[in-house]
Formats: sequence, C-alpha cells, structure tokens
Amino acid sequence: MRALVDGFRGLLRNPGLIVLVLVLNAAVALVAALPVASLLWQDLSHTGASTRMMYGFDYDWWSRFDHQAKGLAGDLAPDLLGTGFLWRNLDLLLRGAVPAGLFSGFTGTGAVVLGLAALYWLLQVFLSGGLLALFRAPAGGWTFRGLVHACGFHFARLLRIALLAVAVAALLFAAWRPLGSWSDHLAREAVSERAALFLVFGRAALLLVALLLLHMVSSYAKVILVCEERRSAVLAMAASLGFCARHLGAVLAQYLAVGLLGAALVLLFALLDGWLEVSGWKTQLLALALFEGFLAARIALRLGLLAGQVELEQAGERPRG
Amino acid sequence: MRRNAIGVVLAALGAASVCCSRPGPYRFQPQLLPPPAGPDAPGLPPVPLVSPRNASYTIEARLDPDKHTIAGSLVLDWRNTSEVALSSFPFHLYWNAFRNNLSTTARGEGRRRRFEPGEDERRFGWIEVRSIRRVDGAEEDLGPTRLYLHEDGDAFDRTVMEVRSARPVAPGASARFRIEWDALEPYGDPGRAGWVHDYNFVAQWFPKVGVVWHGAWNAHPFYPTTEFFSDFGVYDVRLTLPRDFVVGATGRLQESKDNPDGTRTLRFVQEDVHDFAWTASRRFRERRGRFEDLGYPPVEIRLLVQPEHEHLAARYVEATKVALRDYGAWAAPYPYPQITVVDPAWGSASGGMEYPTLFTGGASILAPRELQSPEGVTVHEAGHQFWYGLVANNEFEEAWLDEGFNTYMTSKALHASLGEPAWGRRVLDRAGWDRGRLGWPVVERSIRIPRGAGDREELREGGKVDVMARPGWTYRDAASYGLNSYGKPALVLQTLEGLLGEPTMTRVLRTYARRYRFSHPTTADFIAVVNEVTGRDWRWFFDETFFSSDLCDYAVTVEHQPVRVPTGWFEGKDGMLEYRRAPQKPPGREGAVDSRVTVVRRGEVRMPVELRVELEGGRVLNETWDGRDRWKRFSYPGAKVVRAVVDPEGRIAIDVDRVNNEWIDDDGPARRASTRWAERFLLWVQAFLELQTVVG
Repeated sequence: MRALVDGFRGLLRNPGLIVLVLVLNAAVALVAALPVASLLWQDLSHTGASTRMMYGFDYDWWSRFDHQAKGLAGDLAPDLLGTGFLWRNLDLLLRGAVPAGLFSGFTGTGAVVLGLAALYWLLQVFLSGGLLALFRAPAGGWTFRGLVHACGFHFARLLRIALLAVAVAALLFAAWRPLGSWSDHLAREAVSERAALFLVFGRAALLLVALLLLHMVSSYAKVILVCEERRSAVLAMAASLGFCARHLGAVLAQYLAVGLLGAALVLLFALLDGWLEVSGWKTQLLALALFEGFLAARIALRLGLLAGQVELEQAGERPRG
Repeated sequence: MRRNAIGVVLAALGAASVCCSRPGPYRFQPQLLPPPAGPDAPGLPPVPLVSPRNASYTIEARLDPDKHTIAGSLVLDWRNTSEVALSSFPFHLYWNAFRNNLSTTARGEGRRRRFEPGEDERRFGWIEVRSIRRVDGAEEDLGPTRLYLHEDGDAFDRTVMEVRSARPVAPGASARFRIEWDALEPYGDPGRAGWVHDYNFVAQWFPKVGVVWHGAWNAHPFYPTTEFFSDFGVYDVRLTLPRDFVVGATGRLQESKDNPDGTRTLRFVQEDVHDFAWTASRRFRERRGRFEDLGYPPVEIRLLVQPEHEHLAARYVEATKVALRDYGAWAAPYPYPQITVVDPAWGSASGGMEYPTLFTGGASILAPRELQSPEGVTVHEAGHQFWYGLVANNEFEEAWLDEGFNTYMTSKALHASLGEPAWGRRVLDRAGWDRGRLGWPVVERSIRIPRGAGDREELREGGKVDVMARPGWTYRDAASYGLNSYGKPALVLQTLEGLLGEPTMTRVLRTYARRYRFSHPTTADFIAVVNEVTGRDWRWFFDETFFSSDLCDYAVTVEHQPVRVPTGWFEGKDGMLEYRRAPQKPPGREGAVDSRVTVVRRGEVRMPVELRVELEGGRVLNETWDGRDRWKRFSYPGAKVVRAVVDPEGRIAIDVDRVNNEWIDDDGPARRASTRWAERFLLWVQAFLELQTVVG
C-alpha cells in the first residue's frame, strides 16, 4: 500500500498531468457532444417539450426522437442520468465494446463514438510512455516538451504491448462465447431463478476479473518496459507475469484500494448529482464542474494506480540489503 | 447470516443502480373511484347471476409427474342454444399444436414459440382421444366418424377434431358425451402450458367443444397468435396426483382424499365459467389474502408463489386487490368468491395468462417497485377476469374486445393506484431468451412513462400495417397482432374516454359489462352500447379507429408578422385619394405583430380538436375545430401568440406525435435543454473514453 500512497503523492506533485489528460479526454469527447447539442436544439426548438426537457424529462419527446435517431443521437437515453451511464459502460465493457467495439462486432454504440474511442485508446498508449517516465522520478517535475519526447521515445514498444493485450483480450472473448453458451444452457435449465441469476452475474464477474487481470499484467509490462528500458514487448509481458505472481498480494491490494476509492467516488457523485437541480445556465455550469470533477478524479485514480505500480515495481526489483 | 450479508450487498448495489437519488413516491395510493354499482342499480342493466350453462364438464384426470402424462375422462353435458338441429360436433384439442413441427401453430410466429429444426424432444406434446361416445339415450360410439378440420389448409394440424352423431340435437335439446383421452405435457416454453422440473401448468388440456355462434359452429384451429373461445358451464373436476404436490385450480376445493397408492384426489367445482386450468408443484409457497370493500362481494385471494419470489407476495396480493376494486368499479364487481394467483416457475412460459378464477403473473427476483412488475402483469391478468372471463368475447376473431379493453383498464388502474412507472433497463444480461427477467435493473426514478406512451410508440411505428378490426390470425405478423389487439384498442378507448368524459365512459363500460356478462358480445354490440348511453351516433369514431389502419396526428405552428403600417393610396377626409408614405419608424406599439396559428392534420384520422392559445400579456383563448379538413388557421391581428397547444387536455390519446402539439415562442428553453442533455452526453462519452484504457 505504501507504493500506492507514494504513487499518489508523486501524482499530486504533478497535478498538471491530470488536467492534461482531462483536457485531452474532453476535447475528444466534445467532437461527439457538440453535434448532439446542435441536434437537440434543432429538435426541441419552439416545442413545449423543450421546457419539460429543461427541467426534467419528456418521455413522449424522447420516444419520438429516439425512434428517428441516427448516429450519435441514438446514444441519448435516460440512462445517461445519475449513475446510469456507468452501468451502461460496464455493460458495454462486458459485451466486448472496449476497446472501440473490437470484440462486439463494432456494435453496442454508434460508429462515431467507437471511432473516437479508438483514437483515445491510441492517445493513451502514446501518453503512457511519458507518464511512466515521469512517475519513475516524479520529484523532478515535468515539462510538456519533455513529456512528449518521452511519449514518442517509448510509443512503438508500448503500442506493441497494448496490441498484445488486445490480442489476449480477443482470445478471452473468443473463449468466452462457448462458456457463455454453456452457462446460458445451465441458467435456462435451472430449477430456480436464483440459480440462473447467480450464473449470469457470476459469468459477468468472472469476465470482469479476467479483464482486470489482463489489465494488471499489461500495465506492469508497460512499467517494466519503461523503467527497465527493455525492448521486447513479449519479454516485458512475461516479466510482468512473473512480477505479478511474485507480488500478487501487493498488486491485488493496489487494485482493491483503487476499486474502493472508485466506489466511494461514484457514491459521492451520485449524492451530489441527485442533490443538484439542473435547469438554467448557472446550474448547468455547476453540473459541468461536477461532471469534470468526477472525470478528473477518475483519471487521477488511473494515473495514481499507474504511479503506484511504478513505485511497487521499483521497490520490488530493488536489491534488498 | 449469509443470506443477510448477500442482502446487504444487493441492497447497496440496488441503491447505486437507481440512477437518481431523489426518491419518487411509491405505494398503492388511495384513489377516487366511483362507488361500485349494485346488481339493480338504476339506469343500468341488471347483472346476470347465472350463465347459460350450456357446456358443463365433469372431469377426472390423473397426472404422472415423472412421465409428464395425463390420463383423463370427461362427461360433457351440452345444450344446443342455436335455432338449427346439429349433428356434427367440433372439439378443440389444443395440445396437438405441440405435436410436431408441422402444426398450424408450429409453422408460424406468434404468441407461442415457433418450432425449429433440431427441436428438443421434450418440447413436443400431444392430446389423443381414446374414445368418444354419445351417452344420452342409446349409447353411440362416435369414434369412427372422427376427422380433423383444416380451416387453414394445414393437413397436419390436429387441433380441431369433429365427430358426427346419427341423432341430430334439436334446438334447445341437450346431448351428453363421454370422452377418454391421454395427453403428453410439453416441456418449457413452446406454449403457455407444460412442465418445467416439478412445475406443471395444465391449461387448454382437455377436449373442449366449440361454440355455436351466430347460427353455426365456431371452432378455429390453434393459430400461432390467437387465443380461445368457449361456452359457459359448471366444471366439476377431480385431479389425482402425488400427495406432496401443492395444487391450484379454477374454482373452489370441495374435497381432498388420500389414496392408498400415495396419491391424492382433489375435487374442484366452479359454476358459470368457460374453462378450467390447474397447476401443481412441490415448490409452491402458499400465501393468502382477502379483498373486502364497501359494495363489493368479498374475494379470497390465494397466491402460489415460487420460493425465490416470496418477498414479492404482498405486492402480488395488493395488485390483485387493485384489479378487483378498480375493474369492479368501472365495469361490474367480480362475482366469484375466490381467485388464485400463480407465480410461474423459472423457465416456464406459462406466465402472464388468464383462466377463469385463476391467472399467472410473472416476476423477477430483482424487482424495483418503480418498474411496477409484478404489479403490471398482475393487474392485467386479474383484469382479464372481467372481460375474457365474464363477458367472454370470441378471442379468435375479435381479440381486442378482451385484450384491448383490458390493456386500457390496466393502464388506467395502474395510473390511478401506483402513478406512472419509472423508466428502467436491465444490464449484464446477454441471454435474451429470459424475457428480460435476468440482468441488473437500472432504474431512472425521475423519468416517468405517461399513460399510453408505450402503446403510442408502437402505433407510430406499426399502426399502418393492418386495419385493427380483423380476425386474429389474419394480421401480417405477431407484432401487428400485438399492436392491434392490445395497444391500439387501448388508446382508442382512452381517446373515447377523453371525448366522452370519465363519468360517461364508466356508464358505457358498466352497461356493456352487465348486459353482456356470460354472452359472447361483438364489436357491434359495444358500439351500440356507446350510442345508446351517449344518445349520439359514434359510428364515425369507430370507423376512424377500429376499422382503419390510419394514424392520427395533429400539429400546430405559429407565424408572426409585423403589424402593417398603411402605405399607398387611401381615401382622404374629403373622399379623394391621397398617398400615405411609409414612416421611417413605424408608429404605434413598438414591434407589434399579427399572429397566425395553423393547426394541421398530418394523419388521416379525423377527430374534433381543441386549441388553446396564449397571448403576450397572459390572455388565454380556447378555440375548437372539427378536425376534418387538412388544416385550419386562426388569426390574431395585433396580438403576439406566445404559446399554442392543440388538444391541451390530452384527450386524443391516439395522436401518435404529441411533441408537435405544442408550440412556444421562447427558444430559450430549447437552448438550455439542449446544453443540459449534451452535458450528460459529454459525461458519458468521457467516461466511455476512459474505459478504453482497461484493455490495452
């Protein structure tokens, strides 16, 4: 846990990194959100539904809008409210829509969002080299130029690791289909709905754990590749596997801690979001601040975990004595 | 303890999956209902107390739960209510729909699952008549005359059998038939009857005589989409099965006798019903309730619930009471002393079906109250008792007279007692075969679905496919059958209620329900009741709706033009023409405008509509239009219209696009609403982008 705490300390010494990633994230997402705003305005203009949508929700309007929706507008649904969007994303993850709809046959959400997701995935692979190089020695601070230089330096090797992880995920999803059919059969034949529910949720939980383990191995592979300046992605993955096996308790504890922090963050967000009545410009600005604050915290958790992994790797590989 | 811990975790997850933290109101609300009309209420037809009882059955049946077979014998006492002598007698053998993949049901899409190549052997079932004899007077073996009717040309279908007697039955005379038969229960979900593990749902299970209707036999094959039609009588049924089974059935339990072979024989009796269904399972838990209210006969409610759904028992019982109370008030009170509610087993397709004095519900373990499940299906199926059960129209030929009336009253009852349901969806469920029962429910409490909205969606998308009023097997597909039997007639009746007003509509329904109790009415009978009660001819309304595939859509638009300043040649004070120049700056009120409000009929359906116009300054004007032309314009010189609403009270429930019914001058709300929702969209996309880092 000390490594994770040190990692977060290192991150907090460089808060600009969170802002940088958040700006990058928002900039890509705005490509989708701005046309949606325009579509909504055109559809709601001079209608009574506009007032109801300003203060609440007009089901009749949404039903018609959704029926006619093509492209981006098709993703506008009531589950965007509250924490519903997180459940939608979890569902998309388990359906194979991450990254970029690769394992769901490019379905689950609109092509524009999937395209942006692919772009963002690539950007994050690019950025991870610079971030890892920085977390290796966080006390020194960072410059944008230095960060981009480190990103470019490590990009090709990190991309190979990322693609390797995607290939493993592809195998995972391919293996998942027969397992899914088998558990479907068991659920269908179950005596009780309780057993069927257990099978369905158990299957989802198992896939989620498998994806997190894959994330763990690929993440440490990136750490090892950058910190130990290795060249081979395959060997880095193998080394990561060994490292995770040797330090399984510590590695899992980091994920657990970050998971708990994430849950607390979601709870806090749900409370604030439920409390905030949004209608006019001022409350919309407040809501925007809340949303971006939530996203910033989410990004901070990811970067903090990455920094903690660097700390753990460096502490784990340091000669004892 | 372990169960408690799991409960705490599930509750915490449940709290997180309810998207909005502001709690919405939920409980059965006291409602303002008209007091139920007594049997001899003035101005209403008397309530018939006894049915014609022209098809009464005495049945003995034995279930072998290991082999899933039923061996039965019955005596049918039948009376000819027609005006012609009859010597042929058709019998429905419904379970032969599952005999093979070439039956009429198995070939098509519809309510029952279509049989596909490589079908699980267990899913097939059948009914085979061992012997059929006429036993009034001299015994006559009718077996040699047996043949199967193929109205639809499917020679493999065995769902309607006909026998002929050498002795025609004269009008008003009676005949007695003795039938022995064997049957194999199908497994799971091909139809609404069958077995799953030790759960048996046994419906449409015995040879059942057709109905002499409008001077001829009416006995259609078991089409993929259609339901049933039969005559009223007294059912006296003895069921023999292993002692450890819990049994629910139509009627009252009269006797229970343990047999030396480890079985038990139960005798159920019910007068004035037109069918008999039963269920047996070792897993049932039994709960009881009682419905009592001023002006209603008391009803014992018996709930047979699955162990995993015991936490929903109170909701099942309360919803049943809602149906008994509301339908009783709006139509005529439920006359039987008991009702049995069956919570079907996992994997069975028997849920959501109605039988006399017994119905099946349907629920998920994870059942947030805001989604109104199991309440919705319970009110609906209990509500069938009042239409399918007591009025008993021909469901083959005019399904909407039951399903449509019932859907209309279900939404009305739910709206009155529970309010509008919340929007929700289930996640983490990939199966798709579970009818939406598995999966984690994500509920958005702040979004409520208005009455009729779901039906309006379907009508908008599929309303032009078929004329509503047509036999159930002639719709283009199952979706069209569903829309035209359930959603569209419900919206039409809601519209009729909007046009007549609630008190008059209640009088119409009461008159119809009382006059035609136990008597198989038709659509024409209902229209005649509407005309009689209102004293006006409403045929035009039904021509536009029941007998049409057209859509209804009224819209309103508003134009503003600056008030014209007189410019040009005008008569002067002396009568001579003089030229008036346009002033540099218009005199009078700054920016004064003329307004024109245009109401447009975009659909083909014509309805009288109201228009509410709000002028700047707060003045409100109400206009009316017969709605027959394609458009109508209303002008307001020198006044600025800030809001115009066509059908402001929402009387025309069949208007498929209510968004274009209202126009407002202010575009500010549209701007703010669009940014508000775009922000939400942005948040989701941002979170989805971050999610990409999980893999890679």
